[in-house]
Amino acid sequence: MPPKGSRKLSTIAPKHTLVLDNGAYTLKAGLVPAASTDLSYDSCTVIPNCIARSTRDKCTYVASELIHCKDFGELAFRRPVEKGFIVNWEAEKAIWEHEFVESTAGEGLMCDPKETNLLLTEKPNCPKELQKNCDEIVFEQFEFAAYHRSVGATFCAYTSADGSSLSSLPQECLLIIDTSYSDATILPIYSGQLIQSAVRRLNIGGKLLTNYLKELSSLRHYNMMEETYLLNEIKEAVSFVTSSKEQFSRDLERTWKGRLGDKRDLDTSIVVDYVLPDYEGSIHGYARPHDPVKSRMRRGLQPQQGPREDLLPVGNERFAVPELLFNPSDIGIQEAGLPEAIVQALGTLPEALKLAFLSNIVVVGGNSLIPGFMERLESELRMLVPDNYLLGIARADDPIKHTWLGAARFASQPDLLKHVLVSKAEYDENGSTWLAKKFAATAGR
Amino acid sequence: MPHVEVLPNSASAAAPGWTYVVDTGYDPSKVAINPKDRKRAAARPGARSDNELSARQQTAIARRIAELERDNDPKQSIAIAGKHATPKTQNARRIIQYQRQIKHWLDDEEAQLQQAPAPRTAQSSRRVGTMASIPPTPSEATPGPITPRPSATQADPSTQVDPLLSIDNLMPPPLDKAELDALLAAPPLSYAASHVGPPAPGGPPQRHFCDNCGYWGKIKCLRCGARVCGLECKEAHEATRCLKWA
Ligand SMILES: [Zn+2]
Ligand SMILES: [Zn+2]
Repeated sequence: MPPKGSRKLSTIAPKHTLVLDNGAYTLKAGLVPAASTDLSYDSCTVIPNCIARSTRDKCTYVASELIHCKDFGELAFRRPVEKGFIVNWEAEKAIWEHEFVESTAGEGLMCDPKETNLLLTEKPNCPKELQKNCDEIVFEQFEFAAYHRSVGATFCAYTSADGSSLSSLPQECLLIIDTSYSDATILPIYSGQLIQSAVRRLNIGGKLLTNYLKELSSLRHYNMMEETYLLNEIKEAVSFVTSSKEQFSRDLERTWKGRLGDKRDLDTSIVVDYVLPDYEGSIHGYARPHDPVKSRMRRGLQPQQGPREDLLPVGNERFAVPELLFNPSDIGIQEAGLPEAIVQALGTLPEALKLAFLSNIVVVGGNSLIPGFMERLESELRMLVPDNYLLGIARADDPIKHTWLGAARFASQPDLLKHVLVSKAEYDENGSTWLAKKFAATAGR
Repeated sequence: MPHVEVLPNSASAAAPGWTYVVDTGYDPSKVAINPKDRKRAAARPGARSDNELSARQQTAIARRIAELERDNDPKQSIAIAGKHATPKTQNARRIIQYQRQIKHWLDDEEAQLQQAPAPRTAQSSRRVGTMASIPPTPSEATPGPITPRPSATQADPSTQVDPLLSIDNLMPPPLDKAELDALLAAPPLSYAASHVGPPAPGGPPQRHFCDNCGYWGKIKCLRCGARVCGLECKEAHEATRCLKWA
């Protein structure tokens, strides 16, 4: 219900909308013309949401400029988004200007905010003060013509899991599991509206997994605490989720070196040697099966002539790191794993809703791409819900761009968009406190 | 090259402070600090070992997790290079100048909730059942008409499905319109209240891993409480990480 004092929108709303899924790790962005019918994952551009500084080449890379970086050694990152929320507007403003406003903007992304709508996603449970900061920057600094901010997952109700079909009516019951850089969130969405009281989050995200791998590798092999970029690359290349707790135990045995006097051979079908890039001949590394002889040759033991190789053996880290999504207590985080977290979230809802949500689960977010993740999630969830309940669970075809595509499909439908957009004139007249209430009230659309 | 340093080899001499301990979930290091605690632990049969960590160990774990969760390194300040639009309003200037981290905003949110009047309905409150080990948020700390709902993992007759009766249970009671409207109208939880609860009691016990190599941690370090798998890793642990987070 629109609050008192709200006016009918101007009929000459801009023809295009900047749809922006503003993630902690990457921005997902695209300019969506009204009534466009050919939207797909390909309409979305993924841009690093960071400013990186190299102490080696003394260069600073803003967001998409990171693609020009050739030496990721000791690269330091400044990220405007913390725990999923935009915290540092000095950096985020610089990135938005660089990517959407100035001549440095990417192909098809440059726009004049004064003639553009902004549809911006946010994470659930955002502190109100941060929402207010965001709204004020959008209207007072960037001066977008009109704007709407909403929890990103709600837009997923407007597209199918494979991203193929467009819908003007939201799906009735949709449970989004978003396993992202900052955390994993469980979002029950009823007819496009988030059931706020049932949203739950698990403090394990891609960032924590990368930091954990960095910590373990630094403890066990080399000090790599300044090599966040590289460890993220290694994590993406080699990690997998074991199929069950029992399989986890078996894999742990197969990757153990044994005791003094009772050495075991490492199972080279699991243990790999990651060939580190030297940032001279190679920018990226690669994994190959573990070779005990070669991995014993560390720096200094290798011939001075010929190619030198630095190897990082990766054994149980391959599966013990992503295991945290299922067992946060492995490092002492006293939170239930993802399958049980889903049950906890749904446990607050009437049984009929719970049943409906379980039959339509869509998983988004980059961690869902870890091999074995979906299988483990489904099999553990199956054990936690009554046998006669249908469990329908799928990973979005592109789990990274899926939320953006849902939002883009929403933005392409003028009838939907006009109900939620607030114009700059309305903001100027009523202010940011009014706007926050308006967005809270129209969250259900 | 990436910045890699070969780590020093583990210390050769074994330091005192080690013993083989069969892991019974009881923490001997704590007994030395507070002998009374042993009685308390014994009075809670079946209590999970993770509930029995010493305050020192809990601090160490919390520090390590905070390090793993950190978004930005405060030691590294990266200046915004190049020209950029100047702030256009007082609001914008203030917001752009903030150098606060998320922690400060979340602390503010909690502080404001402490001062705010109690919510009128139970809707914005978390049910208490799953929140045992998380400090209560203000809304939970407020006595109110909170009705804990059964969760699927609890022994509630309506969710314990007898296969023979499953046909009766195929259709749960239809959605009550008023209940649905109330759910949809409920405000968001605070960030702190949105975290999932701990695993259900009675689940598998917490797993312990070797602090050095990641294999099962069957031996406990008496100095810091970390686990190791054997003598080799014990030496490495002492040389590197023992008491690192304390
Ligand atoms: Zn070990
Ligand atoms: Zn120790």
